[in-house]
Amino acid sequence: MKTFWENFYNWIDERVKLEDLVKFMGKKYVPVNRHSIWYYFGGVSLFFFIIQVTTGILLLFYYKGSSDLAFESIQFIMSKVKFGWLIRSMHAWAANLLILSAFIHMFSVYFEKAYRKPREITWVTGMLMFFLCLGFGFSGYLLPWNTLSFFATKVGTDIAGAVPFIGEPLKIFIRGGQDVTGATLSRLFGFHVALFPGIFTLLLAIHLILIQRQGISEPLHFQDKPKTEKKTMPFFPNFLLRDLLLWLIVLNILAILAVFFPAELGHKADPFSSAPAGIKPEWYFLFMFQSLKYFPSHILFAEGEVVGILLFGAAGLLWLLVPFWDRKSSRGERNKFVNYLGLFAVIFIIILTILGWWS
Amino acid sequence: MNKIILTILFFVISVALAARDKEHSVVDQCYVCHESLGGTESTLFKQDIHFKKGISCSACHGGDSKSDDMDKAMSKDAGYKGVPKGNEITQACIRCHANSEMMKKYGSKIPTNQFELLKASVHGRLAINGAERIVQCITCHNAHGIVEVDNPASPVYPTNVPKTCAKCHDDPVYMRSYNPALPVDQLQKYRTSVHGMRNAKGDPKPAECASCHGSHDILPVKDTKSKVYLTNIPSICSKCHSNAGYMKQYKIPTDQYEKYSRSVHGIALFQKHDIGAPACNSCHGNHAATPPGITSISEVCGTCHALNAELFSSSPHKKAFDKKKLPECETCHSNHDIITASNKLLGVSTDAVCSKCHKPDDPSKGYMVAKDMRLMIDSLETSEKNDSILIQEAEQKGMEIGEAKFRLRDAHQATLEARTMVHSFNEAKFNEVVDKGLKVTAAVKIEAADAIHEFYFRRIGLGISVAIISFLALVLYLYIKRIEKRKENV
Amino acid sequence: MDNVQGKPVRKNRRDFLKYLLGAGLLGFAASVFYPIIAYLKPPKQSEVEVTSVSAGKLSELEKDSGKIIRFGNKPVILIRTASGELRALSAVCTHLECTVQYRKDMGLIWCACHNGKYDLNGRNISGPPPRPLDPYRVVVKGDEIFISKMT
Repeated sequence: MKTFWENFYNWIDERVKLEDLVKFMGKKYVPVNRHSIWYYFGGVSLFFFIIQVTTGILLLFYYKGSSDLAFESIQFIMSKVKFGWLIRSMHAWAANLLILSAFIHMFSVYFEKAYRKPREITWVTGMLMFFLCLGFGFSGYLLPWNTLSFFATKVGTDIAGAVPFIGEPLKIFIRGGQDVTGATLSRLFGFHVALFPGIFTLLLAIHLILIQRQGISEPLHFQDKPKTEKKTMPFFPNFLLRDLLLWLIVLNILAILAVFFPAELGHKADPFSSAPAGIKPEWYFLFMFQSLKYFPSHILFAEGEVVGILLFGAAGLLWLLVPFWDRKSSRGERNKFVNYLGLFAVIFIIILTILGWWS
Repeated sequence: MNKIILTILFFVISVALAARDKEHSVVDQCYVCHESLGGTESTLFKQDIHFKKGISCSACHGGDSKSDDMDKAMSKDAGYKGVPKGNEITQACIRCHANSEMMKKYGSKIPTNQFELLKASVHGRLAINGAERIVQCITCHNAHGIVEVDNPASPVYPTNVPKTCAKCHDDPVYMRSYNPALPVDQLQKYRTSVHGMRNAKGDPKPAECASCHGSHDILPVKDTKSKVYLTNIPSICSKCHSNAGYMKQYKIPTDQYEKYSRSVHGIALFQKHDIGAPACNSCHGNHAATPPGITSISEVCGTCHALNAELFSSSPHKKAFDKKKLPECETCHSNHDIITASNKLLGVSTDAVCSKCHKPDDPSKGYMVAKDMRLMIDSLETSEKNDSILIQEAEQKGMEIGEAKFRLRDAHQATLEARTMVHSFNEAKFNEVVDKGLKVTAAVKIEAADAIHEFYFRRIGLGISVAIISFLALVLYLYIKRIEKRKENV
Repeated sequence: MDNVQGKPVRKNRRDFLKYLLGAGLLGFAASVFYPIIAYLKPPKQSEVEVTSVSAGKLSELEKDSGKIIRFGNKPVILIRTASGELRALSAVCTHLECTVQYRKDMGLIWCACHNGKYDLNGRNISGPPPRPLDPYRVVVKGDEIFISKMT
């Protein structure tokens, strides 16, 4: 048995020089410190992405992206197709967990200042992937074509429409017309399964290659320590195996969630009915949705909502470009302002999400 | 000699007339001459509104009314036409009656669109001779002696309308040539109706032909724009029947339209556009409109609700109702504001109808039977509802339950059949139907519960895979530990 | 990967842990791939919407008779008229959604709930039904009758 696997490995190795790759990876070290746990969330996000691709492809076998059949085809997947309920529930749960772990990954990188030179590109691609994840979430939410998703999309695109100048054309572009209709569904379906995954894969490739190329970032306080005191572990196999172990645990959690809290189907969307009361977006949009409510209807000469949207846009841009304006960290100095800003963002998001949830 | 005397006489009369009609600048020589000659036309014309307005015979017949020379006055050169024929008749009328300027000159306020309406109406079609319209103005209004509509002498005065229309409409030979399927007994029926009887007594207020069908603008009944098209009937009846002031002297309610609009029939007709739904005339009749008699209500309702009527008529209630002079269906279901029957009607609770007659100390079994029947149908309905909740739950959980859902239709059918069977007022027959439904709901309940159970069975599969994955995770953990230990040793 | 690490040290010793790891991986693969393969296996009803169902054999359907066929979640009444013609109509009464039946004695489609009657073309001719029954298409292939939706 063993000799077979050895022979197989050798056969491959002779041709593609696996040994080099193993050596390369084995030379990389992951810093070990009390914040090490945060290093795993990138890998967990990757795992969720892999699950999303797999279950997504499986769902494509039966899903039909038209307003006549979308709801019925999901119903079909849930009831007629064996394990269809499992695949769909996992896709729905992994989508939420992916965004959660991406949030955590992003904030841990932010607070560790791991975005500092030379890892600006890694940060920017990561942020872009995060925005894409939100896009995945938004577009995927409509696909079951049920009452909730229909009206959430309506409200969401309405908010996009409030952006000055580009808002109206943007809204029409997303909706594929004046209103949320079957055209919107096929459009968002296209985004969800073709356009976004394509861009995402490209960004992910850059992101992962850069990590392999540059290694894992060391925390700032490591700089002061002598080399012998720096605790590390090899990326391969130690860190990778730990990653895999965590993935297995996560898979277990996902399976339990999918079985005990399966994705709901609701009722088929009726474009002519009135919106149900208290329509809310998915939780990851909730903090923005909620804070827009607190803006006064008019600020100076502009509408409050518009000001709010612009503020969020500016904040997002500021966040995206943090490696370029935070010069201090790149020089290895402490930058308390960045920490306070990040802390404010975390607290703001948590409080407003809770407020939005309970309102 | 005679001629001379006549001429002199003529002259004297003419001068006298000219003196009398000072406002008429010129003496109407046509009338002068024709009156002296006698004849119905000129006699009638004396009463004519047109005569009173100073309109000469020549207005319709042509010729020169100023000339007293017969040959000259009635010559072709003077435009003399003689008796107008066919469409010429109407042409003569509309020269003024379609011209508002002209009508104003004579101080008349009547509309000027009659001819437009007539042309579009069923009477505006070509007659069988292919040369003229079926109806000319004079067909209804007469030629000489036309008076105002509110003058009882007018052929279109309300009490005269039925006779005027019947001139053609009760002539089977004449009507056959236009519409062989159209009945010709409308007048006969009308005279049996409340409207017709009052009309015959000289009351101008009750509906006559034109009240419902219109006058110049009569359209075929099947035309959706027709005043008597099915969906328009309730509003045409309500024109009078909802007008409390108008109906005051007749001492009948005026809320029928309002009640009907919110009834199951009114909703079907107005909101669902179900043209099978009954309008006023379906129960009251149209030309013979009269409320159905107490003993015939079930037959009237039974034209659509056949099974219920049949069951009722053969039930013990029929006799009892007739004896007590209770109107059949109406006693329980009311009349104009019939709402969708629900189980609430049955039984002995406060909103049920059975207990109106059947008291607890009832010597017959009525009270107990009503109570039992209500219990039975409620339990069927509840179990049907519970089943559909179970099915929905199973469906939401992603279970395939189509078969049970399909079978539940039978339970629903049994509920409806049972509701019909109530009208037999026979407990055994009723229970038979309900039991059929209960059997179905019991079977469906088991199936749905099984499906939901199956959903929870999935957790066993989850348990197995969680165990496998956890096992692998544990082994991996031990393996990692070993590698790290070895590294430390190295 | 286990091979890689295992290679330099204990080459010939039986490594119990590795066997466990192998077994675990195998079980893991099974628990992942079983649902996926089962999922990909075409389900009994191969499409979302029912577009056509088999309604039995022509030779088994007597003349002047009718039977109810399940079409998705709705019943369809298949009638073979006295002259041998096949007709398929929705069996859902347009009045209150009872299931209609063929009445040989009347030569009509009849609803037991309120005595609604339809002619064999599905037209409502008597009783409370407000609309005709929706027609379905009947196709005979050999001896087999198929009913499909009108397109």
